[in-house]
Amino acid sequence: MASNSKKVLYGLYTDEEDLKSAVKTAGQSHLDIMDVYTPFPVHGLDPILGLKESRLHYLGFIYGAIGASFGFLAMSWIFTRDWPVMFGGKPYWAVPAFIPITFEMTVLFAAWGMTITFYTICGMWPGVKAKTLDDRITDDKFCVAFDVTDASDADVDNLKGFFTKTKAAEVNVKNI
Amino acid sequence: MNLNTQFVFESKTKRLLIGGMALGVLSLLFIFLNDDEYHTRFWSTWLHNSVFFSGIAFTAMFFLSGEITAFAGWNSVVKRVWEAMSQFMWVGIILMALIVAGVWGHLHHLYHWNTPGITDPANPIYDRIIAGKSGFLNPVWYTVGTVGFLAIWYFWAKNLRQASIDQDTMETADFKYYKKQRKWAASFLPIGGFLSAAFLWLSLMSIDPHWYSTMFAWYSMVSVWLGAISLTVILIIYLKSLGHLEYVTQNHLHDIGKFLFGISVFWTYLWFDQFMLIWYANNGEETIYFWERMNHYPVLYWGNLLLNFVTPFLILMRNDTKRKFGTMFFVALIVFFGHWWDYFYMIKPGVRIAAHEATELAEGKHHSQKEEAKMPASHPAEAPADTSHTTAAPAHGETSHDASATHEEPTPVHSTEKETHGTEGDAAGHHHEEVDESKSFKLGYSIPGLDDIGVLIGFLSLFLYFFFGQLSKASLVPLKDPFLDESLHHDTGALIEGEGGGGHH
Repeated sequence: MASNSKKVLYGLYTDEEDLKSAVKTAGQSHLDIMDVYTPFPVHGLDPILGLKESRLHYLGFIYGAIGASFGFLAMSWIFTRDWPVMFGGKPYWAVPAFIPITFEMTVLFAAWGMTITFYTICGMWPGVKAKTLDDRITDDKFCVAFDVTDASDADVDNLKGFFTKTKAAEVNVKNI
Repeated sequence: MNLNTQFVFESKTKRLLIGGMALGVLSLLFIFLNDDEYHTRFWSTWLHNSVFFSGIAFTAMFFLSGEITAFAGWNSVVKRVWEAMSQFMWVGIILMALIVAGVWGHLHHLYHWNTPGITDPANPIYDRIIAGKSGFLNPVWYTVGTVGFLAIWYFWAKNLRQASIDQDTMETADFKYYKKQRKWAASFLPIGGFLSAAFLWLSLMSIDPHWYSTMFAWYSMVSVWLGAISLTVILIIYLKSLGHLEYVTQNHLHDIGKFLFGISVFWTYLWFDQFMLIWYANNGEETIYFWERMNHYPVLYWGNLLLNFVTPFLILMRNDTKRKFGTMFFVALIVFFGHWWDYFYMIKPGVRIAAHEATELAEGKHHSQKEEAKMPASHPAEAPADTSHTTAAPAHGETSHDASATHEEPTPVHSTEKETHGTEGDAAGHHHEEVDESKSFKLGYSIPGLDDIGVLIGFLSLFLYFFFGQLSKASLVPLKDPFLDESLHHDTGALIEGEGGGGHH
């Protein structure tokens, strides 16, 4: 699907501090970074990139609340209406006995809900081919990538100049 | 690196804390003068605060030892706070010694197992269950398990702190003192971990000697651990307000906040599990503990959950609240008071039942019931109040409850009582009609009274006086600590909007 294919110009840095100052420079020169890839989490990178706090945990709370109410209400219905069974002389609606399962359902719904949401947002499904720019970004290289699909030659030259200025070790173009 | 490292314990603060201690003494005196004949409130208040603050000192040491053993790096800048807190165990020994003296001299009726004759089968007050536990529940073990264990812990705390202070003055950088600290810290973990359980069984759980819970030591230790964590938050924020600890940032606070949140959830897990296991097994000797507390002390019981679970859980769930000094201070105050409340809840109902029954027996209210329970006819009514320790010794309510008759459902009080009558012969005549008055609300038992708050302020002032004294004896930051540099640059990596990360173009 050609429409989904992107032409990406990326530079590789050998040090995380070089990467951070490069991202800062890009921000000052109003260059629109597509993404940054690092082999490990780089502290302090998110604010420089201007990333906002993830909203995934709000969904996590909602999924958890759904799981808690579902677990609790389902057990209440089963043990009082659908199939009442007396366990050890306890009342049918034995709330303390429901709490561990309610807790487990909360965790289950929150965990699965957030995982599925995260995978959906990232387009990660079984059988998806990973769009890796360069194998070394999972090893020892730090990468800044620009989407140059619709960029003019002048823009590309400008970006290449940026990579030279910020001491990128390598600059490549790749279609992903 | 230019760190402001010296804390000065100013005379203004000293005067304030001495004032707090004076308030505590006055409150204790007030309680003592308005007390029952056994001075139950006085002794139980003393026990409550002594165990609570000794426990805070112990858990500060335990927490610190765990961090050192786990190679924690973030904590270096706040290490001295815990070191200073742990030294309070020395005062704890003296505080607990008064209770121990009371056990030996029979000055109080906190511990029913300490009643003379209770383990003697020939004695009318013989209690089979307590006799079975008397190998552990006796004054010798009590002394070893409270004062003795505190002394052992203090020895470790003192040596750990000494190694840390010596490290500040070393000429050339080497790991000698650091390794020393690791040895003291790692060896303290099993010692503190195992001995603390026995400490709590003896000092708190044996108040209800027929009752036992395998969760109790966990539960009460985690409770006081939260006391220590919340007090740490309060003290750090206070010290920062004085201009100290300027290198303690939101990131350090965030990590302590995670502990405050996580351990609060752990406390709730134990709180609930202790209840659920007992509720599920429905063993009368165990359920009576909760039956009493839920039905007669509902404010204590549910307030406990509100203060120690609902508040920290809902407020600290968010990422950003753990990074705000004001919010953390507020939550820490609630949690600190909440766990003091939790200890109040563990102690007061139990001692009240014991003292109440002792008083009633001394007043000779139990004739008919005693005959029913095959008591020797000579026993009742002749016991004057002053010898009540030897004669007035009904079992705690626990044994006479039959398992099948102890309801966790809120059945009407009277019908339950009828069902729970004298089904076990060896409980020396326990009677429920007379206990009725013990169910009514009483300030100082049902909820903490103002005088109890006064005593809390007194003990807290004593703790802080000692703490600030210790804090001023050494640099506020371990200058040669191998992890100091890491700690000064600590960053949790949390991305919070509005904190001004600097990258918003």
